[in-house]
Amino acid sequence: MISLKTVRIGSVAETPEIFDVAGGDFGGKLMVTRRAGRAVREALAERLEALPKGGVLHVDTRGVELMDYSFADESLGVLVSRVAGGEYGERYLVLVEEDRDMLENVEASLRQRSLAMTRVDEVGGEPAIVGSIPDHLSDTLQAIMDAGSITNADLAKKLGLNHTACNNRATRLAKLGLIHRKVESASPGGRQYTYERIA
Amino acid sequence: MSGVLTLGTLDPAFEAASRVAGEPVALDLRSVEFVEPAGICGLAALLEFLIPRSEEVSLALAGRDVPAYLERMNFFRLFGDRVRTNADVASLEERQRHNPGTLQELVKFQTEEEIPGVVRRISEILENQGYRLRERVAICSTLSEICANAAEHGASEDGFGAFATVQAYNHIVSGARRRGEEVLVAIADGGVGIRKTLSRNEKHAEHTTTDNDAIRHALKMGVSGSGELGRGGGLTLVAQISGRAGGSLSLRSGSGRVTAYHDRKNSRTVPDFPGTFVRVSLPRHLETAPQEKSSR
Repeated sequence: MISLKTVRIGSVAETPEIFDVAGGDFGGKLMVTRRAGRAVREALAERLEALPKGGVLHVDTRGVELMDYSFADESLGVLVSRVAGGEYGERYLVLVEEDRDMLENVEASLRQRSLAMTRVDEVGGEPAIVGSIPDHLSDTLQAIMDAGSITNADLAKKLGLNHTACNNRATRLAKLGLIHRKVESASPGGRQYTYERIA
Repeated sequence: MSGVLTLGTLDPAFEAASRVAGEPVALDLRSVEFVEPAGICGLAALLEFLIPRSEEVSLALAGRDVPAYLERMNFFRLFGDRVRTNADVASLEERQRHNPGTLQELVKFQTEEEIPGVVRRISEILENQGYRLRERVAICSTLSEICANAAEHGASEDGFGAFATVQAYNHIVSGARRRGEEVLVAIADGGVGIRKTLSRNEKHAEHTTTDNDAIRHALKMGVSGSGELGRGGGLTLVAQISGRAGGSLSLRSGSGRVTAYHDRKNSRTVPDFPGTFVRVSLPRHLETAPQEKSSR
C-alpha cells in the first residue's frame, strides 16, 4: 500500500507573490471609497490571473492606515467572491495583515457575503481565517491547516467522518479558495485526494 | 430660533421653505450664539433649496462670533454672492485666518473622487489633536462611508451634490453633564432621500411605509437600494463605531429622523424636506461628571 501522507508541501511559487496595497498608486495609507477599491481589485485580479495554477497571491495591507467598509468590500469582498465562484481557477488569495481594528471592515464584508479568506500576520506566518465559514467546515479546515498537507483518507480518520462526507467538506473549502485540493492516482486504479493549506 | 444652530432648530425653516413660491425670504438667525456642524450643513442645504425658489434670500446674523465662525467655515465663500446678509463679510475675510487645526471647513462635493481628499484632511486634523491611529481610523472610515452615500445618492437631477463639515471640540457638545472631547461630523445631500432610494427595490416594500421605517431599515446590515450583495454595510458600521464610543448617529431624511445610540434608537417625525442629513457624534475621554462639578 502506498501512503500518500507527506511532509508539508511548500507553495507552488518559489518566491511568494506579494501585492503591497499601500505601495501602489491607489491612495497610500488611506483606502476609502468603492472607486479606490475597484482600482485595487482590478490590479489584484491582473496579478492573480498571471499566476500559475495553484498559485497564491499575498495581499499585504499592513502599510494601510485606514480602510473603510466600502473599500474593503469592493476590493477584497468582491474579489474573494469571484475566487469562490471559480473565476480564477485554482488561484488563491491570502491576506497579510495583523489582528487589528482595520480587519473589522474586511471581516464585515466577507461575513455579509458568507465568505472567508486566509490571513497571516506575515508571509509564512500561521494561517488564520477572516470572514465566516459554516461551523461544520471549521474543524475540517483547522485539521488541514494543522497538517499542512493531508490525504482524504487520513483526514476522514482524524475527523471521524466517512470518506464521502470528508471529501465533500474539503471540496467545499477548496471552492471557497481556502485550501488547495490535489487529485492523484492511487492504487489500485483509484483516485486519491490530497488537501493542502495555501499559506 | 434657539441659541444653538443644529439640524433640529432648523425644522421650522425647513417647514416654511416648502411654501416658498418666488417671494423674498428672510432667515433670521440673530438668536444663534453657537453653530454646530450639522447646523451649518443644514443651513447650506436649506439655502440650496431656497435660492432657486426665491427672488432673494437674506440672512440676518447677530454679534461677531457667529458670522466669524461661518466665515471661518468657508460658508460665505460658498454662499456670499448668492444670499444677502447683514454681517460685514468683507471685514471678516480681511482678517488673518489662524488655523486651529480642529475643523474641516464646509466643503461641497459631487463625486466619490473628492472624498479621499476630505478624509485625508480630517485625518490630519485629528492627528494634530492627538487622536490615536485607532480613533482616527474609526472617525475617518465613518466620514468616508457617509460621504460616499451622499455622493452616490445626492447627485439627483436637481441635486446640489453634498456638503460635509467636521469640528473637533475640546469639550462635549451633545448631551449634558459629561466631560470629555467630541468630534462632530455632519453631511447633507440633496438627493431623493432614504425612503425613495430603498423603495426602488421591491424587497424593501414593507419597510418603506414611512421615512422613519425606511431610515431604521437602512441602518440594518446589508440593506441597500440596489440590493447587491456586499452593499449596505457602511451605515451599520458607522452606527456601531459611534455607539461604541458613547456617541450617536442621527439621520434625517424626508419627514423622518432617527438617532441611533449603542443601546437604542429614537425616532421622531419632522417637517418634510428633501435630501438626507447625517450627524455623527464621536466622543472620547468620556466621563460622567458628578452633578456638583457639572457647572465647571
